[in-house]
Amino acid sequence: MATIQGAGTKQNTYDAIVIGSGISGGWAAKELCEKGLKTLVLERGRDVKHGDYPTAFKESWEFEGRTKLPPAEIAKQEKQNRTGYTTHPASAHWFVNDLENPYSEEKRFDWMRGYHVGGRSLLWGRQSYRWSDLDFEANAKDGVAVDWPVRYAEIAPWYDYAERFAGISGSLEQLPHLPDGQFQPPMELNCLEKDVKRRVADAFGGRPLIIGRVANLTQPLNGRGSCQYRNRCIRGCPYGAYFSSNAATLPAAYATGHLTLRPFSIVSQLIYDEARGRAIGVRMIDAETNAVIEYFAKVIFCCASSVASTSILLNSKSARFPNGFGNDSGELGHNLMDHHFKVGASGLSDKFADMYQKGQRANGIYIPRFRNLNQATKQKDYIRGFGYQGSASRSDWSRGIKELNLFGPKFKADLIAPGPWRLGIGAWGECLPYHENRLFLNDKVRDKWGQPTVTFNCDWKENEYAMRKDMKASAVEMLEAAGLKDVTPFDDVSAPGLCIHEMGTARMGRDPKTSILNRWNQVHAAPNVFVTDGACMTSASCVNPSLTYMALTARACDYAVSELKKRNL
Amino acid sequence: MNSHLNRAGGSVERPAITRREAIQRAAIFLGAALSPSLLSGVMRAQSAPAAAGAKPVYLTAQQLETAAALAERILPRTDTPGARDVGVPAFIDLMYGKYLSPEEKKLFAAGLAEVETASAAAHRRAFPQLATAQQDALLTRLAEAARNREGTFFYQLKELTVVGYFTAETVGKTVLHYDPVPGRFDACAPIAEVGNVNWTK
Repeated sequence: MATIQGAGTKQNTYDAIVIGSGISGGWAAKELCEKGLKTLVLERGRDVKHGDYPTAFKESWEFEGRTKLPPAEIAKQEKQNRTGYTTHPASAHWFVNDLENPYSEEKRFDWMRGYHVGGRSLLWGRQSYRWSDLDFEANAKDGVAVDWPVRYAEIAPWYDYAERFAGISGSLEQLPHLPDGQFQPPMELNCLEKDVKRRVADAFGGRPLIIGRVANLTQPLNGRGSCQYRNRCIRGCPYGAYFSSNAATLPAAYATGHLTLRPFSIVSQLIYDEARGRAIGVRMIDAETNAVIEYFAKVIFCCASSVASTSILLNSKSARFPNGFGNDSGELGHNLMDHHFKVGASGLSDKFADMYQKGQRANGIYIPRFRNLNQATKQKDYIRGFGYQGSASRSDWSRGIKELNLFGPKFKADLIAPGPWRLGIGAWGECLPYHENRLFLNDKVRDKWGQPTVTFNCDWKENEYAMRKDMKASAVEMLEAAGLKDVTPFDDVSAPGLCIHEMGTARMGRDPKTSILNRWNQVHAAPNVFVTDGACMTSASCVNPSLTYMALTARACDYAVSELKKRNL
Repeated sequence: MNSHLNRAGGSVERPAITRREAIQRAAIFLGAALSPSLLSGVMRAQSAPAAAGAKPVYLTAQQLETAAALAERILPRTDTPGARDVGVPAFIDLMYGKYLSPEEKKLFAAGLAEVETASAAAHRRAFPQLATAQQDALLTRLAEAARNREGTFFYQLKELTVVGYFTAETVGKTVLHYDPVPGRFDACAPIAEVGNVNWTK
């Protein structure tokens, strides 16, 4: 369609447009609005106001199928169901209908997502760790891909800023490769976790086991309540006790009076003005009416998720950008990453039989990376490293299903009581950025709005598989050293995507010839377009990425506004 | 988080079998020799009018009564409620009608038929009418034959019974530790103080 011209553009013009309302989009909305910009947030899914969490207070017996959905419902979410937990009746409404939102897999890729205001900020695992220079310098030191154009010292103040607002609880540990932050008081380790922590430290030269650093409040913050220890976060928290766009950033953006949020708004393209040599706005499709509408702004933030932001850029072709917006380097869509996981071990303890817990902790333990930190920990089979997440708990009644030969009065009494203590740890490993791991647009498979869909071609390679051997062996070694019994390893290797940490595809870099974004998350060739979600990542680290998106987004917003004031954008 | 600890269960993939095949297979694995005439008698018994009790919506009355009797032996009434007390039979009926896949339904129906066949072969009475010791003996043989395998009738029966029981309102509120908004977390609390029961999930 033709671009709106003249006076008609005025009512569709804002200072800034933000595409997406998840973790990155919510932060962009807050920062830009608080700096006085009239900001339009376009979200492709339905609206969800804070508190609009329909299953938050439901008990198991209030779901007709208790823990199950009917086969006809599961059939709508066959790909989302690959996690094994997403299509539970308590949370299935937060994940997309795969039939209506298809994608293709040259190699299997598990693309888990929710189309609604707040996006995956409602669903995330909330583990929040800083990167360090071990991560930012990794590509340069290893000669892999391209160098990050930033270092920890530049990002650290923005981690401070993001943590203070988001509310991260955690312990101070003084580890150079897992920097401390502005933490609320940590949650507590339980008896067995404390015991294993001491034994692992003794056996492995002080190797730390710490409580997870998690975006759950342990003290009230900005009108949000502290964690009530229900451990039902994935349903949405009525107390606002974990960080989400809905509970935290979007209310802050609304409070300025500068936010306009438009749900059901599927951005299909950025609009590039050839004459002016700049992006002037976006073209979107109303998901309900199919109306095509254009909006204009001085600055555009792409925060739709790694895959979606890059898809929009790939779909934004012009004479200047025939291969996708900002894609002079040819790297757009490439270097797709995720963490590889589902490998580790668990073991039983016969200690603490007289101890249990009160409340349900929405957090676990963390064993920070201990490989390839320095010459002494250098591995010969692989580069980079991994950290473990896990927890100890007394097993519950669900163990009774597998204790197959048992039934009767004693069996029932056993299942009612807390079962044996079990501690399990699973590793999250860094994946290298490979040019050939990519996504691209598929014109042959169109969605219900006639838009091209995404095809994935991505897999793990030698370095990841070599690392996994150590991820399993080190887990067994630690749990056995900690005195656990029946230590059982597992390695359920899964396809990329399942960790829901997809990163890369529009990476930051120093050189426009080999990267899409510069050190401020600006598109090299179009400085008023910023990409601050996972697409910008140049490498993957082994820690959870969302806190870094928050910090990079806030930093990029600050830079964008200062550049606007200087009339540089 | 901790999804890595949720080892995904395998899906039930098992070829559909006819009732006659099921009965014949039951005869083999339970060691009973069924004559053709007994076999046809069992087939007739399967469609006989059911005993009184809860009215099923999806299962036949007899299937429901067999399932209820099995569930009650898995989780019998003691000083805490039994499977029947908390509505496990109705839950199984609902799951059968609306939540199991066609393959899972076939497995379940065939399994119930196997139980009745074995009961008839061993005692010439329907399973629900057997003495509890007889029921337990039959259930033990079923469990041994299942050999801890998913995708067997016994696994399915136990899953439905255990889930149906522990997610029931009566159990959640009166048997387990029901505290939907704890408000605080004590990581190491003596059982003597918090009680020797699991938390309601």
